[in-house]
Amino acid sequence: MADLQVNICGVKFKNPVIAASGTYGFGREYNELYDISQIGGISTKGMTLEPRLGNPVPRIAEGTSVILNAVGLQNPGAEHFIKYDLPFLREKGLVIIANVAGKTLEDYGEICKKLDGLVDMVELNISCPNVRAGGMAFGIKPQSILEVTRVAKGGLKRTPLIVKLSPNVESIAVNAQSAEQGGADCVSLVNTFTGMVIDIEKRRPVIANNTGGVSGAGIKPIAVKMVYEAAHAVKIPVIGMGGIMTGEDALEFMMAGARAVQVGTANFANPNAMPEIIAQMNNWLDSRKIKSINEIIDTVIMN
Amino acid sequence: MKDLLSVVKSNRAVAENIYMITLALPESAGALHGGQFVNLATGDNSLLLRRPLGVCIAEGNELSLCYQVKGKGTKKLTEAKAGDELKVLLPLGNYFDLSEYKNIAVVGGGVGVFPLIAAIRENKDKNFYSYIGFRNKSAVCLLNELEASRSLKVTTDDGSYGDKGNAVQSFLADAEKLNIDAIISCGPPVMLKALKSGLASLGIKKPCFVSLEERMGCGMGACLVCVCKTSDGKNARVCKDGPVFEINSVEL
Ligand SMILES: Cc1cc2nc3c(=O)[nH]c(=O)nc-3n(C[C@H](O)[C@H](O)[C@H](O)COP(=O)(O)OP(=O)(O)OC[C@H]3O[C@@H](n4cnc5c(N)ncnc54)[C@H](O)[C@@H]3O)c2cc1C
Ligand SMILES: Cc1cc2nc3c(=O)[nH]c(=O)nc-3n(C[C@H](O)[C@H](O)[C@H](O)COP(=O)(O)O)c2cc1C
Ligand code: FES
Repeated sequence: MADLQVNICGVKFKNPVIAASGTYGFGREYNELYDISQIGGISTKGMTLEPRLGNPVPRIAEGTSVILNAVGLQNPGAEHFIKYDLPFLREKGLVIIANVAGKTLEDYGEICKKLDGLVDMVELNISCPNVRAGGMAFGIKPQSILEVTRVAKGGLKRTPLIVKLSPNVESIAVNAQSAEQGGADCVSLVNTFTGMVIDIEKRRPVIANNTGGVSGAGIKPIAVKMVYEAAHAVKIPVIGMGGIMTGEDALEFMMAGARAVQVGTANFANPNAMPEIIAQMNNWLDSRKIKSINEIIDTVIMN
Repeated sequence: MKDLLSVVKSNRAVAENIYMITLALPESAGALHGGQFVNLATGDNSLLLRRPLGVCIAEGNELSLCYQVKGKGTKKLTEAKAGDELKVLLPLGNYFDLSEYKNIAVVGGGVGVFPLIAAIRENKDKNFYSYIGFRNKSAVCLLNELEASRSLKVTTDDGSYGDKGNAVQSFLADAEKLNIDAIISCGPPVMLKALKSGLASLGIKKPCFVSLEERMGCGMGACLVCVCKTSDGKNARVCKDGPVFEINSVEL
């Protein structure tokens, strides 16, 4: 057994495999399939101060090796999470990351204040492509990333802040630096790429929202490159994601500089993906006699 | 809920563009009820989404599903041969709970008949009055399974088999003289809408349970991709809170 533990911003993970926001709910359903205390952590469905109903259906479409979604931040509100889901997750003993979003700058500050000290980390979703107000609007321009990070950080006295970056930008390195300047303790990337799938019989986009966020295996090479660029532009730790389906995929992200990874779409293709990824990472390390996962972080040798 | 590696026992056409695939499960997944569904891998790893298919015939550790060939995934499924392995997540969703009813009308259209067959098969002590519609003669299938009904009326859109018309019309024509406690239904959205308005205009207040379809991600309630609107303005997850809903509790 290799040592899979990682430490990010003082938070201890039993392994570096975290459920990606929006694909895993608040963990209850996957816990009906396997004991979710095996995984390193969970980033919750994106939460807002007030409950939201989200977008009309259909909310999902499929391409080759990718999917598109436009759920639009349907969620029961932060209050409901604190009362109902947080106690359940606490019992499971995994790192709890609250993924949060807002319509205005003030919303971001307020929701962070509400969750401060209650969860292990807060992940700022400024990169959701599927909502009109807020979401990605804050996550494109370096200046607005800096501002929203500063406001969010102002609400967090005890809980480390992750800023989740959008890949739909000019320079991921510059944006990662803006988050760092704004006071982020960590950055995570990538959120989904905006895309469209058209039903040629109906001559209409499949998704009711017309466009959606592209995720899954097909985005992995782009995501790995962006994670590499972000990790080499900032001093704060980076969490990588985008198309991870196997333990080998996860190791690529870690070699590119990520300290941990998140797994999203793979949970749909293979509901047992996360425990399997953890086992595969362990086997890879064991078979190469590498004692700790930390030995492979940021070890890619560029040609 | 389990994700099992099933072995294909057979996979053959039962009507034009409709296949029945029989899977041997390596272990029991517990009782499988009519209305519940499974999330089946297609065998093409470049398709990241599983396909939701209703439980049709469940016997011991063998499960038969019937599917219409529509897009890439179901086309790929037709290539599955005996001995091939496919991952299947099951059982998913709620089911037609008929424990309180004895005399039940069954209204099914097209691929909507398959989950209804499972409900009929597992409730052998009840009386079913079935109204089943197909597009045309070449789409008619599995009538032997439906013959367990007390009465069976088959319609086709073009009259090439049975009466000309659709399942809702033929049910509504009989509805007032039928002595039923409940109705179960599954079929395309237009059909369910017609059923809802037909029941309302005839003033029939018997409980009516319908099985809905929506595009899905996880299939188990986590991703909020598959929602429908409830009559009180909220969202329900078709995969977890459904797929079976009382017809007046949801917007169709
Ligand atoms: C609970 C439930 C039970 C079902 N039971 C049956 C059944 O017993 N027999 C049967 O023939 N069909 C059934 N369907 C519909 C079936 O899931 C779709 O026809 C099938 O997924 C289409 O896949 P495809 O690869 O042919 O199409 P594609 O167009 O390649 O599919 C692309 C994506 O859209 C989804 N999709 C497309 N059409 C539908 C639809 N009508 N409903 C849900 N998702 C869709 C697919 O699952 C896939 O994720 C059921 C649907 C649901 C939700
Ligand atoms: C259905 C779905 C819902 C998502 N919801 C959120 C969300 O609420 N907040 C967020 O930050 N990211 C959300 N994401 C993005 C994922 O967390 C992740 O960044 C992205 O899917 C890339 O990883 P993957 O390829 O492993 O899925 C969602 C993704 C999917 C597929
Ligand atoms: S498909 Fe994920 S919640 Fe229904």
